[in-house]
Amino acid sequence: MASNPMQQFSVHKIGPEIKIAGIDLSFTNASLFMVISASFILLFLFLGTREKKIIPDKVQLIAEMFYTFVAKMISDTAGSKAKPYFPFIFSLFMFVLFCNMVGMLPYSFTVTSHIIVTLIMALFIFIAVTIIGFAKHGFKYLSIFVPSGVPAILLPLITVIEIISYLSRPVSLSVRLFANMMAGHTMLKVFGGFVISLGLLGGWLPLSFSVALTGLEILVAFLQAYVFAILTCIYLNDALNLHH
Amino acid sequence: MRSYFSLVIATLAINTDLFAAEAGMPQLDPKYWASQAFWLILIFTILYISIAKFYLPKIKSNLDDREKKIKDDVDDANKFKELSETKFREYEKMLADAKKEVIKIQIDSKKILDKDIQSKKEVMEKEIENEISKAQKEIDELKRNSLNDIQNISENIASSIIENISGDTLNESSVKAAVEDVSKKNIGKYL
Repeated sequence: MASNPMQQFSVHKIGPEIKIAGIDLSFTNASLFMVISASFILLFLFLGTREKKIIPDKVQLIAEMFYTFVAKMISDTAGSKAKPYFPFIFSLFMFVLFCNMVGMLPYSFTVTSHIIVTLIMALFIFIAVTIIGFAKHGFKYLSIFVPSGVPAILLPLITVIEIISYLSRPVSLSVRLFANMMAGHTMLKVFGGFVISLGLLGGWLPLSFSVALTGLEILVAFLQAYVFAILTCIYLNDALNLHH
Repeated sequence: MRSYFSLVIATLAINTDLFAAEAGMPQLDPKYWASQAFWLILIFTILYISIAKFYLPKIKSNLDDREKKIKDDVDDANKFKELSETKFREYEKMLADAKKEVIKIQIDSKKILDKDIQSKKEVMEKEIENEISKAQKEIDELKRNSLNDIQNISENIASSIIENISGDTLNESSVKAAVEDVSKKNIGKYL
């Protein structure tokens, strides 16, 4: 059973069963690693803001780098109007990044490799962005589906495509992150299994693959967090600044 | 390489359960979906609130403070730089003025000195000339006097010599004539 590469994604209950209105809300290993990731973020930010130094120490410097990184990302993609949403996007980026990175530790659980987690985040972003769009522009927000400068004959087709692409945003956003994390961790597990089953004689090649994949997965963990955050910024930009 | 691949295939043939995993993805089992959603929303809300209300303002204020401090320091530095530049310009001007002054003083004092030396030299030369001409006159006088004396002495000597030799007293005028004759012949050697 240990060699089953999907075993690592299984969720099991920790502690007593919690049932509210007939719905099972038990604390699971997934919840545990959410708590661990969030605690790491808070610990990191605590250490990074403990002392207000003019010349920062290492942790403070990294915390400030994250701040300026996300701030720059938002101002580059969504402009100054997106400033009120900076704390949310910063939290989102940090949460996804730390969940991905904590998942890279051996024997840990990758929260973001579950479609339900990424889907809830993506749906929240989708619904929030849609509400912001209608709140800012009223029914004019629907003009996002009607691009300007399109020939009249093509307009119905383009509009249908735009609507489909808009509605598929939460799906693409959530599946992108979930599939990347799941595929990477499955690959690592499969190659890890090869190392064991091929033994001392033949295990070296899959082992070297495993090492290389680990590096790649760390890159993917960062990249997917970045992509998740920047796509949120782009959706927000569409809602805040009507271009069409 | 071929033996390696046959080893891999043989191992996979034995461990068929490696691919049995495809049977199920735990992610698609809805048993704990509600739980995960609940805990995700709860934990993310706590995280969001503590970041938005507490940590981000702290980082922001620190970044702003640093920016302000850097700006102030740069402003101060620019001010001091300007100040030092003006001071330096003043100093250079003072130096140039002083140099000009020095040159002027040099030229002036040289002129005065030259003039002084010239006048003193002239006075000195005049005095020296006077002295020389006076001395010349004295020498001429002395020479002339000495000639007469020599003539008288020569006459006396000549007459006394003649007296001693011959025992005669010669006519004074003839002795004088003879001495004059001799001295006229030889006077050119001494004058």
